[in-house]
Parts: sequence; structure tokens; C-alpha cells
Amino acid sequence: MTALAIDDLKANIGKVPVLRGVSLRVEPGETVALLGRNGVGKTSTLRAILGLLKRTGGTASYNGVNLESVAPHKLAALGLGYVPQGRGMFPLLTVKENLTLGLTGTPDPEIIADVFRRFPRLEERLSQPAGTLSGGEQQMLALARCLVMKPSLIMLDEPTEGIMPKLVSQIRHEIDEIAKRGISVLLVEQNLRTALRLANRVYLMERGTIVHEATPAALRADPSTIHRYLGVSL
Amino acid sequence: MSIRVELYRHLAAKPLLIVRGALRSVGGVSVIELVLALAVNGLVWGLIIALIALGLSIIFGLLDIINVAHGDFFMLGTVAALTLTVASGSYWIALLLVPIIGFAVGIVLERLVIRPTIRQASLTIVTTFGLSMMLQEGVRAIYGAQPRRMEAPIEGTLPLFGIDYDVYRLFAAAFAALCLIAFFAFLTRTKLGTWIRAVRHDPETATALGVPVARICAITFGLGTAMAFLGGVIAAPITTVEFRTGVDILPFCFMAVIIGGLGNLQGTVAAAVLLAVLEGLVTSVTDPTIARIISLAFMSVVLLVRPNGLFSGATR
Repeated sequence: MTALAIDDLKANIGKVPVLRGVSLRVEPGETVALLGRNGVGKTSTLRAILGLLKRTGGTASYNGVNLESVAPHKLAALGLGYVPQGRGMFPLLTVKENLTLGLTGTPDPEIIADVFRRFPRLEERLSQPAGTLSGGEQQMLALARCLVMKPSLIMLDEPTEGIMPKLVSQIRHEIDEIAKRGISVLLVEQNLRTALRLANRVYLMERGTIVHEATPAALRADPSTIHRYLGVSL
Repeated sequence: MSIRVELYRHLAAKPLLIVRGALRSVGGVSVIELVLALAVNGLVWGLIIALIALGLSIIFGLLDIINVAHGDFFMLGTVAALTLTVASGSYWIALLLVPIIGFAVGIVLERLVIRPTIRQASLTIVTTFGLSMMLQEGVRAIYGAQPRRMEAPIEGTLPLFGIDYDVYRLFAAAFAALCLIAFFAFLTRTKLGTWIRAVRHDPETATALGVPVARICAITFGLGTAMAFLGGVIAAPITTVEFRTGVDILPFCFMAVIIGGLGNLQGTVAAAVLLAVLEGLVTSVTDPTIARIISLAFMSVVLLVRPNGLFSGATR
């Protein structure tokens, strides 16, 4: 069963249409990158999938469940994880409060131990306000916060944005590790090299719709498409 | 009747509006003692008003609602306290039940009045103003316009700075302080409190993490209303119970919220106590209207010098 199936998704911000019929698929265990220039609707696509942006048309289903029938706050419990652009920290909440925010019961000790093994800096700073962490540490916390919810699919919105270059490779490594565990990943990324390195498939967006689908290898071999839709070259 | 008792009567009769005449009748009490007594009186009221203003502040901080009816929630608390005390024969039953009733009233009003206009600040002023009118006129229609007084549940006085100070007032201050501590402990030590703080900061990310934001908003409005009711039941024995009791409280609460920093809960508490003590002290040398003008001038200076509030650096 397809992990995430989006068909002809439409959404507006105010009266302005920002998604004009987005269709994409994420298969179980697959890492899919969604690329495009600023303002083409990448973040809006993720927000519309989660119901944070009201959908005006099309369908979205996750593991066969029509997302129209699920309240947005119940998606995390179904295993749909989200790391928002800018990391979505609650700066005045402690690291521990951020980490366990979505959990209603006692955290699974095995998962917590695994998260601390992966991100030892977080364990050292549990009682510290999250706003005092560096950008890289906040990104680790955002990933860890998502992982403790035992997701089967994680949507990452520009996880390397604003991160020190030396930490980008660490973030990239962690996303790779997430994918190796069999967790599906839908990655919105400005950094083309990161996206092509991590993804199994790539969608290119323009003006609120998907305009191109390719494997990373095929896209690397097609610099004119990259330049046309992303305005950069490899 | 001793002069001390006379002064106490003045304090009891005019909790926020201690008249100049009180000074003239002090006789054996030194001015310093009187000033200290008025400062304590201000502190007592400051702690009670801090509870009410805190309710206003959490509602504003989470829902962006300028709740003009908040003073009337306090008034409903005093009315409910009197009614339940008369019906049950025990003030303590009223003290237990009134905040629970306030919470239920808040939940219902959030659904009927607030939610349809949420995130539209200007519209909420109109709707809560209408609600305020309805609550005041409703209480006047049912209970009449005549101010009523309640017997204090704890009799007796304690000598304090040369006057006999009402024991119940000291209990009220201590209980209000305990409730404030309990509220902050609830905010920082419980999952629900953590969710409220998270939703205040970023409702969208909180939703994506599984926090039921609509329910948290309703609970927060209920809590804010319950705190105004709680302030009402604590204050009922030391103020008058009438349909306009909340009218004087509301601007004081707004000043506390603004001086403390919009949405800054600790700042709101500190500002409420500061303002009440300031007004108490100023009232010892002039009349209450001048004291209120000085409070407003103080708020204006704070807005000019520290537009984000006097305690804007404090943790929210």
C-alpha cells in the first residue's frame, strides 16, 4: 500500500490559490524530495497534507486512510511525522518538554534511549529551555521529537536551512539513518545536493503544481531541467 | 467603637477606594502605621486581582481575545458566592463550587460566543462587550440593583501596624497567593499546562505534534473564566455584591496585563500587586480618583519607556 498518495490537491491562502492540483506518491520506505524555487508551494503542500492549510480540492491519503476524515491533531498518532520549516521549536519549553510534547503516556524507554544514543547532546540539556540550543541542536531536537512518536512517514521541511555547514552533513546522515530504518521520508529541500543524495525520487514544483518527476540520477543528467525549474546548476 | 475598628470599617467598606476620611479618623494610629496598613491592604487586593488579571492574560495570550466581559465574570463569581452561601449555609462550599461553575460557564461561552469570532480581535471586543451587557443586565433583572454584603466566613481581627486588621482579608491574600502558585505549578508541571504553553507559542506546530488545539483553547478560556470566578468568591466577603461590581475591576486588570507585558503571566501578577499597593499608598494621601489617574499615568510611562511591558524580559 502506498504510504502517502496525493491527488490533484488544491489549496488557497486567503483567496489566492497556492496549490493548483498537486499529485505525488511516497511508497513505504522511500525517500522522496520535493524541490522548487521559493514560493512555488512546497511548504503549502506539506501543510495541506496535514490539514494545517485548508484543502479546497483533491484527495490525500496516508496508508490508505483518507486524511479528510481525520482531525489534523490525530495524524501524529497515526504515524505521520512533521518537522516544520524553521524547526518549530517551543523556545520557552525545556528540551524534555519539547521532546515529549506529543506523547500522552509514559515515553517508550527503548525509543528514548535510542534517541539519546543518537543525539547525546539532548540528554545533557534536558532541563534547558529549547531556545538556548544552537540551530543544529534544535534541528536534532526537532528530529528526535518526531522519532519518539514512532512515525512511519516523516515530512521534513528544509531541515538544513540556517544550519552551520559543518552540521549539515550530520543532519543529512541522520535523515539517511531514518530512511534506513524503513521510515518513509517526504523531504522539502532547497539544497539540491542534499536532496539528490538522500532521495530515491524527486518531484519538481512550479506555481503550485508538480511539473517534473525523475530519479536523482536522471535529474543529474538533465542540467537544463534543473536550471529551468530551480534556477541553479549542479 | 474604637478608632481602629472605625478605620477597619473604612477598609472593609471601600476595598479599592479607601477614602480620604479614613486618614482623618485615625487618632492614635501614626501615619507610617496607616501607610503600612494601606500597603498591606493593597497587597491583599493585588493578590486577588492578580488571579483575575491572570485569567484575562492567559485568555489574551492564547486566543488573542480582548475579553471586555472578564470583569463581569468576577461579578458573577461574587453573585454565585453569595447565592451558594445562602443556599448551602456554608461559604466554604461556595469557595469549592464557584470556580468549577466558572470553568463550566467558560467552556459554554467559548463554544457559543468566542469560537465563532476567534482570531478576529476587533470582533471579540464587540461580542464580549455585548456579553458584558447581557451578564450585567441579567444579574440586575434577577437579583435587583441593590448592592448586597456577605458576612466574612472567618471572624476576628489581628493587630497589624496599629490597626485591627480583618483576619479574613489575610486569609484571602494567602489563599489567592496559594492559588497563583498552584496555577503556575499546573502550567509548568503538567502535560495540560505544557500544551497550553505550547499552543500559546505555535498552535500549528502543536497541532502537527498531536496537541488538540481547539480543546486546549476551550479549556484555557474555561480556566481564565474560572480564575475570575475564583477571584469573585474570594473577594465577595470584602466587597459589595452587585451587578456592576466588575466594572471597576476590568480597567485595573487591563492595566496589570499591559504593564506586566501582553501575555506575560508572571509580569501580570507582579503588575497587579504593584498597582494595588501603589493605589493603596497614594490613596492614603489623596482621593481614589487621583490614585487611579496616577496608575494610568504610570501605565502610560511604561508604554512609552518599555512598550512590551515593565517585565518584558521575564520568562513567559
